[in-house]
Amino acid sequence: MSAVLQVSNMRKTFGGITAVDNVSFEVHSGEILGIIGPNGSGKSTLFNCVLGQLQPSAGEVHVDGRPTTGMRPCDLNRLGVSRTFQLLQVFPQLSVRDNLILAGQEHQGSITSRLFGRADAGVGDAAGRMIEFFGLLHLADEPAGSLSYGQQKLLDAAMAFMAGPRLVLLDEPAGGVNPTMLGHLRERLRAYHVEQSATFVVIEHQMEFVMALCTRVLVLAEGRLIAEGTPRDIRQNPIVIEAYLGH
Amino acid sequence: MATFIQLLVSGLATGAIYALIAVGFTLVWQTSQTINFAQGEFVMLPAFFVLAATNAGAPFWLATFIGIALSVLVLGILFKFIVVDPMLKYGVLPLVISTIALSLFLKEGVKDFYSSQAQPFPALVPAIDIHVFEAVISTQSLAVLAVAVITVVALNLLLNGTRVGRQMQATAQNVTLARILGVPVRRMVLYTFLINAVLVAIASILVSPIYLAKFTNGETLGMAAFIAAIIGGFNQVRGAVLGGVVLGVLDNLSAAYISSQYRGAFPLIILVAVILLRPQGLLGRVEERSV
Amino acid sequence: MTRFGMLVFVVAVAAGVTGPFLLRPFGLYLISMWAVLTIAAIGLNLTLGYAGQVSLAQGAFVGIGAYTAALLTQAGCPFVIAFVAAGSLCFIIGWILGYPALRVQHHYLAFVTLAFTTLVFLVLRNEEWLTGGIYGINGIQRPNVFGWSTAKAINFYFFSFGVLAALAFATWWMLRSPWGRAFVALRENPIRAASLGVDTRRYTLMAFAIGSSLGGMSGALYAPLVQFIEPNSFSLGLSFSLLLMVIIGGSGYFFGPFVGTLIAVLLPEWLRVTEGYYLIVYAAAVMAMMAFCPAGLLGLIERSARALGGRRRPETTQALVGGADS
Repeated sequence: MSAVLQVSNMRKTFGGITAVDNVSFEVHSGEILGIIGPNGSGKSTLFNCVLGQLQPSAGEVHVDGRPTTGMRPCDLNRLGVSRTFQLLQVFPQLSVRDNLILAGQEHQGSITSRLFGRADAGVGDAAGRMIEFFGLLHLADEPAGSLSYGQQKLLDAAMAFMAGPRLVLLDEPAGGVNPTMLGHLRERLRAYHVEQSATFVVIEHQMEFVMALCTRVLVLAEGRLIAEGTPRDIRQNPIVIEAYLGH
Repeated sequence: MATFIQLLVSGLATGAIYALIAVGFTLVWQTSQTINFAQGEFVMLPAFFVLAATNAGAPFWLATFIGIALSVLVLGILFKFIVVDPMLKYGVLPLVISTIALSLFLKEGVKDFYSSQAQPFPALVPAIDIHVFEAVISTQSLAVLAVAVITVVALNLLLNGTRVGRQMQATAQNVTLARILGVPVRRMVLYTFLINAVLVAIASILVSPIYLAKFTNGETLGMAAFIAAIIGGFNQVRGAVLGGVVLGVLDNLSAAYISSQYRGAFPLIILVAVILLRPQGLLGRVEERSV
Repeated sequence: MTRFGMLVFVVAVAAGVTGPFLLRPFGLYLISMWAVLTIAAIGLNLTLGYAGQVSLAQGAFVGIGAYTAALLTQAGCPFVIAFVAAGSLCFIIGWILGYPALRVQHHYLAFVTLAFTTLVFLVLRNEEWLTGGIYGINGIQRPNVFGWSTAKAINFYFFSFGVLAALAFATWWMLRSPWGRAFVALRENPIRAASLGVDTRRYTLMAFAIGSSLGGMSGALYAPLVQFIEPNSFSLGLSFSLLLMVIIGGSGYFFGPFVGTLIAVLLPEWLRVTEGYYLIVYAAAVMAMMAFCPAGLLGLIERSARALGGRRRPETTQALVGGADS
């Protein structure tokens, strides 16, 4: 079974600092892979290199066997790879519904056909379903900027899911979310994963969130991959414990 | 051959002036993300300060000091505190637009409040022609070169040889890191504005004897600054120097060997070529945006 | 649009349609100039307010459009064809200009358009065989549109007003389509937009090319309005003026260009007291505006409306026809 995502010897240096140092891993279809590690271990940088926001200094990325190293984010997205961001990024002026329509519209037809077609590019219904799925019905026509932080996080995830991606990379989806909302978010992510047979990669700080959600976990420290295994193995791994405590 | 040497020398002189303007422009951009579209008018203005001082009776040498001082005050301090600072919270675009408006403001201001006619401007040295191997070189070109070179060397010493200078460089390369390291960033940014004001004042005094002091000078000089900075590489001071010199020489050569009607077009073509072929400039680094 | 906004709109349209009958020739000339330049301002608003790029070439595109239309109509071409030619030519040039410039960051488009404007001016001035050089082109006729002569001032006004309305409608329709949503996304958060599949480069280029095309169409109307064109009219000064018009009206607001151009056309008249100082006042006003209210007049109005009216109606179209920092 070919890996949905294959990262080989990924390296990123900024001047004299090596943020990501020779990291390689694979993600298999249907997995929920967690990536954890202390602050500054290079997790977000790794994501950015894989997803095209940054150019890697070395290394390769393959999606479904197809080389995508250095591909522009919009092109990668159209291949079925989607992401959320650590720093919240919804479009505050657009309504919740419009945020979702935007997330889906670029996958419908061509740029010219979208000019002459329907105002919602045919994804209005899908947006409505997504709104229901995440329980945002009462906020559907509110400007996204007026939502609470936790609600915006839900919207962020919803936007990443709109185009029906096969692979979703979530960068600290639980960050800053209150415990009640957290449970709801985790439950919705798992529900989506099951319903759509999607593959997830999740960067997270919050151990409980990762342990409860992920099937396999990678641990990064100082840019290097130091451990890999099931959540239980990782929790008990002395190297990992050292890396966290040593900080 | 003689003509070529003459053109080369005068091209180097022009290039030296462009270099000064481009260096100031790049420094301000690097440390505070300010793209100063009024840089050309910044070069146009100090000459008028000097002229006003001479009209008020000051001898030329005193007038130049007054011109430089006024330049530091208006184009350095006032510019930073009144135009740039209030706008920083809105992002780069409003600031760009504001400096575009500023360039118009300064240009019209000089035209309305001083004169719309070109004003003769005293040269630093009397214009004598020196003969070197059949080539005729003007002392003026040599003087310009000398002053510009001294200025660049002094600036280099400042930036690399003093603590303040190195702090400025740190600020230019990575503001956040500089702040963490304890560099007084706000003060460093102010210094770059002041340095720019001095550089444009010197450039103004060097260039006005040749072009005459006219309110429209800013257009060509500003364009030269931008192109020189881009050719050299937007994020490098050394690049700005190189870019200025290259531009000056090429500009002079093209005017002589290519149609003079399209003289203004040549730098523009270089600009488009650089953007197409090597957008980071000759010495620049490719920049990244991270999330 | 709010109910108050709709009221203002209706009143404005009514004024635009009935007012001209009360005006004398010079007044008609002014509002015709307003109608013509608003088209260029709408184009620049697309580039600046929606795609977030500074273009200093809009004046040059007006010039290219004007000369194209003048030369074609004087060679016997029907106006409609000249108009379309002007728009298409500017679209293509805009695309060619923008393609390399937009691949780089840091407002390189601003520099390229600055350089381009100077280049266009040089060509217009030097190529006397084509453009008449510094002597310009004289005696440009007002067109006959489907048998209706626009030679009379009031006829030409209604003609340009009609074209403005049509182009404004087309722009509005484009902004209501998925493209409009993409433009807002581009403006608010280009990185996020890219990660959702929005081809930011393509959309920015489109906005710039369409904006330039509108500049060309504006020029095609400008030529018969003033009936004499010469290179100096289309230099950097016009580009600056158009930029200031868009800014003062409110960049990114649909009606910003209408308001900004109106002020720009009337300001020299209001400031007749101060003679030639209106450019300085204009520039100072823009600088002040950037410091206190970068969203322009319409932004100011929206801010006050919100302060007075409490909760804002969360209509998404507000964002599409609203501004950059509502």
